[in-house]
Amino acid sequence: MAQTNPPFMSGVPELLLLRLLEQQEMYGYELVRSIRTVTGEAISLGEGVIYPALHGLERNGALKSRRKAVAGRTRVYYGLTAKGRKRLVKLADDWRRIQGGIESALGTPAHA
Amino acid sequence: MPRPDVTALRNKLLQAGISPTYVRRTVRELNDHFEDLVDEGLDAGRDRDAAERQALQSLGAMSNVAAAMRDQPQLKSWAWRWPRIAVVIYPLACVAALPVVPIVAGVQHAESITRWGLGLVLEAFVTATMFLVLQLAITLT
Repeated sequence: MAQTNPPFMSGVPELLLLRLLEQQEMYGYELVRSIRTVTGEAISLGEGVIYPALHGLERNGALKSRRKAVAGRTRVYYGLTAKGRKRLVKLADDWRRIQGGIESALGTPAHA
Repeated sequence: MPRPDVTALRNKLLQAGISPTYVRRTVRELNDHFEDLVDEGLDAGRDRDAAERQALQSLGAMSNVAAAMRDQPQLKSWAWRWPRIAVVIYPLACVAALPVVPIVAGVQHAESITRWGLGLVLEAFVTATMFLVLQLAITLT
């Protein structure tokens, strides 16, 4: 099983949540399953900690939520706001820049 | 039967100053998530006990959830974020509410208060009648 929440994961859950919610509204359980699927199970979050992340993003205005009754249960569905889309663009750019830098470093032979 | 210890989580979050609204939502969503995980286990052919144990493990330690909540200062109640303002606002709000509360409570419990009042009147009538009978008995003997 993949290690959960190592220190270098800072900012990754936020990026993944915003990316997934850009496509469609989802509730917590659905989001955890989707993260597993889209990352090929490389990233496995402690499932309970997704809610503090979602609530924090909602409080910051990046997400909006609504309750919806599905199969006898009331689900809280989360969706992206305009502010969330801007945040996603910024985080994705940051991530690509870091990824490029790391790849460049890994591709360069180390000097003694 | 293993279940997430949401009572302890609720207490920890409230003690940490997390807004009660977010505490209620977190507890409700964690319970729903747990039920979804149990259903997933049952669908995979596990018995209920095994499914609940697996669900509890997947959900993770509630102390991690509490720590993650505490790391989000924006989830704290306004009184924790601005304690000096709360110190001023709360007493003023209490003073303002003092004359209103009995009226609101009276309206909300009007039926009970009416029955209670009628009971008192009836009791006073019965007591007065008994005293009258006693007084007449003393006077006539």
